[in-house]
Formats: sequence, structure tokens, C-alpha cells
Amino acid sequence: MNRLADLKKSGRKAFVAYIMAGDGGLERLSEQVKFLQDAGVTAIEIGIPFSDPVADGAIIEAAGNRALKEGITLQKVLDELASWTFEVKVPLIIMTYLNPVVKFGIERFAKECKRAGVSGTIIPDLPYEHRDLVQGAVRQEGIALIQLVTLTTTEQRMEAILQEAEGFVYAVTVTGITGARDHLAEEVRDFMKRVRSKSSVPVYAGFGISKVQHVDMLRDDVDGFIVGSAIVQAFHDNKIEELTPLIDAVTAPSSV
Amino acid sequence: MTKVKICGLMEEAHVKAADQADAIGFVFAPSKRQVSIERASELAKYAPVDIEKIGVFVNASLEEIEKAVEKVPLTMVQLHGDEPDSLVEAIDVPVIQAFSIRSKEDVSRLKKSVADYVLVDAPGTAHRGGSGNVFDWTLLEGSGIDPSRLIVAGGLTAENVRSAIGQTKPFMVDVSSGVETDGKKDSVKIQKFIQQAKGDLMEQAIEKVGFFGKYGGQFVPETLMKAVKELEDAYTEAKQDPEFSKEYHHYLKEYVGREQPLTFAKRLTEAWGGPKIYLKREDLNHTGAHKINNAIGQALLAMRMGKRKIVAETGAGQHGVATATVCALFDLECVIFMGEEDIKRQQLNVFRMKLLGARVESVTKGSSTLKDAVNEALRYWVTNVEDTHYLIGSALGPHPFPTMVRDFQSVIGEETKRQILEHEGRLPDVVLACIGGGSNAIGMFYPFLQDEAVKLIGVEAAGEGADSERHAATMTKGTEGVLHGAFMKLLQDDAGQVQEAHSISAGLDYPGVGPEHAYLADIGRVEYKAITDEEALKAVITFSRLEGIIPALESAHAIAEAEKQAKEMASDELLVICVSGRGDKDMATYADRLGELA
Repeated sequence: MNRLADLKKSGRKAFVAYIMAGDGGLERLSEQVKFLQDAGVTAIEIGIPFSDPVADGAIIEAAGNRALKEGITLQKVLDELASWTFEVKVPLIIMTYLNPVVKFGIERFAKECKRAGVSGTIIPDLPYEHRDLVQGAVRQEGIALIQLVTLTTTEQRMEAILQEAEGFVYAVTVTGITGARDHLAEEVRDFMKRVRSKSSVPVYAGFGISKVQHVDMLRDDVDGFIVGSAIVQAFHDNKIEELTPLIDAVTAPSSV
Repeated sequence: MTKVKICGLMEEAHVKAADQADAIGFVFAPSKRQVSIERASELAKYAPVDIEKIGVFVNASLEEIEKAVEKVPLTMVQLHGDEPDSLVEAIDVPVIQAFSIRSKEDVSRLKKSVADYVLVDAPGTAHRGGSGNVFDWTLLEGSGIDPSRLIVAGGLTAENVRSAIGQTKPFMVDVSSGVETDGKKDSVKIQKFIQQAKGDLMEQAIEKVGFFGKYGGQFVPETLMKAVKELEDAYTEAKQDPEFSKEYHHYLKEYVGREQPLTFAKRLTEAWGGPKIYLKREDLNHTGAHKINNAIGQALLAMRMGKRKIVAETGAGQHGVATATVCALFDLECVIFMGEEDIKRQQLNVFRMKLLGARVESVTKGSSTLKDAVNEALRYWVTNVEDTHYLIGSALGPHPFPTMVRDFQSVIGEETKRQILEHEGRLPDVVLACIGGGSNAIGMFYPFLQDEAVKLIGVEAAGEGADSERHAATMTKGTEGVLHGAFMKLLQDDAGQVQEAHSISAGLDYPGVGPEHAYLADIGRVEYKAITDEEALKAVITFSRLEGIIPALESAHAIAEAEKQAKEMASDELLVICVSGRGDKDMATYADRLGELA
């Protein structure tokens, strides 16, 4: 994940793509990763489907349900990543709800992630208070536990979270669940400024980012963007090429 | 766990210092610690709602005692004179009778007491009502006194209380002069005494707020953490405020119609041929079930926090109706999420909610039942968290919900305990309640947890059989996991995907169970049994025809298990069933499934 810090130093913006593992079949995962890294994304979040994804909106939930119908499990996804022989050029991050990890075994999860070449993990229903449940085990394997901060995170709490942040900080742009939106609230810029001024690691904006205008609005106040629902939907509709302008808008060095 | 009573309080500061105690005492008899009824009533306002308030009397008349019970109000009475048994028996609240112990003869005298509890003290000097002298605890050894009735007093201090507890294992320890400096109460000593008496348990509780053993916690997305913390603070603060408690109890009495009777079920007792059966009548509440107890409490809290929008989930519709009802009562905006499958099963309740002015949102995801309704309610809350309170309906969800819902439902068990003592002069042998998320059960059980002789049984839904694919028997078949904000027990597959639950009863159709229940199962304090759809339906007929009460399908599970228990019990034993709700809402299911009766 050092690469993310280097990118920040270079002044260029990061683009983190989210895909739901197994949506359309697990065999599609490798082509999806290859496509995204060739398109110039900075890192890829691999989503693990869950029966009760309360932080997610309709698009990701539907994709998760399709993946569950395909019989996708955390084990199968990690085995798939471990089996890849092509060069994975970007950091892979496992995004999963806590329960599949608890069931899998937390130490086993950390070890298997390492074996699969995973660099970090995001667990949206594991708040800062309970991080010890997972942090020790993943740290032992050199895997970053990515923290989230939101518009409702209080000042004091944000400082505590940022103090321990590793990899990058996931700054949530909406008070709500995941999913594409037309507009972002004006207060989001101030929020991003605040987070960035206090964070020693790169700050990436996520939730609801789907349009070039969102990128234009926030690019001076963040180190990167996380795009989920828009990519998941594009892969599902076989229209992923339509997202290359968004990726380019973020990663192009000229637009600073 | 031995309880702690701080006695002889005269000042607000000391009442507050005793807020972690289980009981406080006011002395009305001549003593340097004597207070008037008016003063005690004033002081009681500074005590937590769930603390026992005990009045100490010496040879007072029944009128004087009753006046104090009503005015303060007191939850227990402690007698230190030569009161006759007839007086002890005439007092409505539980009674503690105190005895001075010098010899083995005194011990045998106290064993004959008709009071609910006996307090042993060293002999008095100038005034009766506690002397502060240390008494010889070894006198109690081999005396055969039931420790669950025993209160130990006399010369206790922070230094010796642990060994007193170790020797006698009493129900409660009572201290007065041991927490004083120069004849006046000392806040530091009060707190130190409580800490010592409760030992490590307290430290654990303080460190691990929001956990019951390993279960519980706050496993929610970061966006909700601020709301969850605010709620935790608001509830802690409200719990200390006598005005909040007063308002809550006002609505329970004037609007819900409490207290509800503990009805002796004569025909059921005869038919089952075992113990005396008593029924706690939550079916008589306004809106027809226990759910309203919690809805009133949470709505008052939401308003206290300045929130006037409410979101809730519902399974059977009883919690939805209760929520819609309190929202109408307090003029709050109300959105209810309900699974499409449940909407079909509970059409009448859906219409009720709409009539009450609530918006009912149909959830078509997953199994379209309670679990999915909770998911949608949580998503709605994440999105509207700044001005909306999530009025969760069961003892589930992130801390403080499981604790708060339990506290609001504990009125069930508190009343039951008082009533059974009135009826029978002793605690029941077995108490049963049905369990989905577990709110009526935890409310019924909680006040009995320390009374270890009382067997507590939670009854979950076995659907088409706990060994079939279609059941909701989380305690019997579940494994540990995280759902809806808490670490608890779940029905899940090997990959950690939560499975769909099945029960004929929409209120028990949930694949998880409240974290406190998971803990009580682990430590063996509560036993959990499972009853099938068919057994529950059979109980509906039996109960309707023998007692003239058509129970809710949920409650019928507890009734069916009660019959099994009764078969193993003797005629001098007592069994209490929590009838959590009435069957009106299930009439369509009954007509359909019990068609042969038509």
C-alpha cells in the first residue's frame, strides 16, 4: 500500500474500483481485474457478497444476491485470487461484512488474505471501537485495516480514527448507503478538507461517486475517489467501457 | 450475585453516590437517621428508577406504613420491631423482617418469619433499627436458612463485606454506619463499599458496557455510530431522571392500562394436573401485546432527544401497531418497514397502522420477513439519522438497544414478582415466555435472574421441526455471529450467510436472538426449548377453551411448553406463563389452519 502514499506525493489522484466478486460467475473476476488495471485504476476492492448488507444500496445488494446464487463464498474468492498467474499490478482490498469473517475465523482470514496477495481489508460494520477484534490478526500478516470516516463522525472520534489509519482513509460522502447519486451536498467539500488536514494517509472519497462532475467538485480536496455501484452496474450491463472517461478524469495527470 | 443496600440515607448527594447499589433505605423510626415521609419522597427522586426503595419501621401501624409506601413510593418495607405476622401479611409490597442475633435460638426464631426476606443484625443498643455492631456470622452456618431470603447487616464495611458474602452467600448485604464518617454518610465510602461488595463483576460491567459476556456490542456502520452513542448517553441520563420514570409510568398506567393481572388459571391447572398455573396478562395491554411498553419508553426518549421522526420494523405487526399508536399519541412522523410475506399474513395489522397514520413500506427482499424489514429500517436510519429515531421492537440491535428494551419491558417481571408474592407468598418455581428476538422474555426474566431457585424457560419456534429445514430455533440450532449490530446467536450457513427462519408465528420468525439471551443460555441461567407450529396451534385451542383467552401464536409457544413442564411438576409448585399477546391478529391463520373447527 506504500504505492498509495507515493501517488499522493506525486500529486496525482487515485481511482479505487469496487467489484462484487462472483457477480456473473467467479470466472469473470480475473477479466474484470485485468480490465480495470489496464484502464489505469489505482487499487481494486473485491466485494464479498453477504445476505444482509445494511450499508449498501439496491445496486450492490442485487449484485451480492446474484453472487450468492452462484454459490460464492469468502473461501472461493480467496482461492480464486491465490490461483492467478497473471501479474496483478494494483493493490487488492477485500471488502466484506464482519459475519463471514467471524464464521471463517479471523486469524485464518488474515493468513488466507496474505496467501491470496491481498493488501488490505475494509469491514463496514466493524467500527473503530471494536477494531481489536480483527486488527491484531491482520496486522500480523501485513494487511491494512482500512478505516471509514463519515459526515456524522464527531471531531474527537475522527482524530482517534485518523491517528491509527493505515493504507488510506475511506471518507464517506453521504449520510446514507452506497449507490449512485446525481448531486453531492456542498458540505462534503468542507468535510473532505477537514479530514485531509488531519490525516497522515491518503483520503479517498467514496459512496455515490459516479459522475465526472462529482470528481470535478471534490478533486482539490481529496487524494482519490472510490467508485462502486457505477462499476458494478456497468459490469452487469456489459458496458464497462462507458466508465473509462470517469477513470481518466480522475487519473489524468494534466487536470491538476 | 449478592445485592447491596445502602441504608439510612438523608441527603441527595448520598442517594446519588449510591446509584450503583441495588437498594436504598429510609429510616422512619426514631433514630439519628430518621427522615419524614416527605423528605424520603424528595430523596427518592434522585435514585435510579430500578433501585429498590425500602422503608425501615419499628412497631408502626399498618396505616403509617401504607401511607409511606404510597407517598415515597416505597418498593419494599423493612420491620425492626415486634410486628405480628398479621401485619407482615397485610403489607402489599415485599417485606423484610429484621432479627437481632445473639444465639442459635434467635436463628431458629427468624426461620419462622412469614416475611419475604429476613435481615440478620447484631443486637441494638439505644435504638432499634440496626446497631452497627459486628455479629458472629458463623451462627448462621448449618442453620438451614434459605440464602435467597437472607439479608446480612451489622458492622459491615468495605473491608469485611467480601468475607461476609463469602460466608453466608446472602440475597443482599445492608450497610449504614459502615459507610459513615463521624456519624454522617460518606459518598466515597458508599461507592467503595458497593465496589467491594460487587467485586470484579462491576469492573467488568463498567469496562464492557454494552456486552453480555461476549455477546452484544455496536457493530454498525460508522455513519450510525454518532446516533448510537448519543442514544446511549441520552438513555443513561434519562434512566437517572425521576421525571422520566414518572412520565413513562404515567403512560403505562393511564394509556396502556397497567398493571396487568396475574390470573390464576384454574381450569388449566386442573386439566394439566400438576402445578398451579398463573398467567401474566400482557394480552390485556392497549394494542394487544407487550410491545407497547417499549414503544412508549422509546418514544418518550426520542422526544427528549429532540427527534420527532420514528422508523421501525415489524414482523407480526404488533410492534408496528404499537409504534404507530405512540406516534399518533405524541404526534410523531412514523415509517414502518414490514416484509411482504408478513404483510400478507397480517393484513389487519397493516390496516391498523395505516389507520393510525403511519406509512407502511413493503419489503420484498430476501425472505420478505422480519430480518429483511430490520435491514431496510437500518438503511432508512443510516440515511435519515440526524432527525430520526429507530424504535427497535425487540431486545436486539447495537447497544444500548438490548439493555434499553429490556429495561422498558422489565415492568412485566417486576409486576409478576410482586403479584405472585401477594397471591402465594413466595416466588414461582418455573417461569416461561416465548422468544423471537426475546423482548417479552427478557422483560419477564430479568427481575428473576438473581432468584436462582426460579427456573426460567425461553420458548422459541421450531417451525416444521428443529431438525427440518424450516424453523426459527436459533438457541437450539444457531451459532455465534454478527447481525443487525450485535454479536449474538444466528441461523447461518458455513460461509456466514444468514439463513431464512420459518415459523407460523410472524413474531418469532427471526434468525437471531437477543445478545443477553445468548449469554443467559451460555451461563445456564435460562433454559431454551423449541415448540413446533403444530404444537403451538394445539395450545391455541386448549387455552382458548379452558381459559377463555385466545392467545397470540407467539404466546401459544410458551403455553405448549408449559404443558410439557407441568407434566413433570408437583401440585404444590407454581408455574407462570407470560401471555405476551392476544390472538386477534392471528384470526385469519387460525381460521385457515384450524378449519375443522369452522
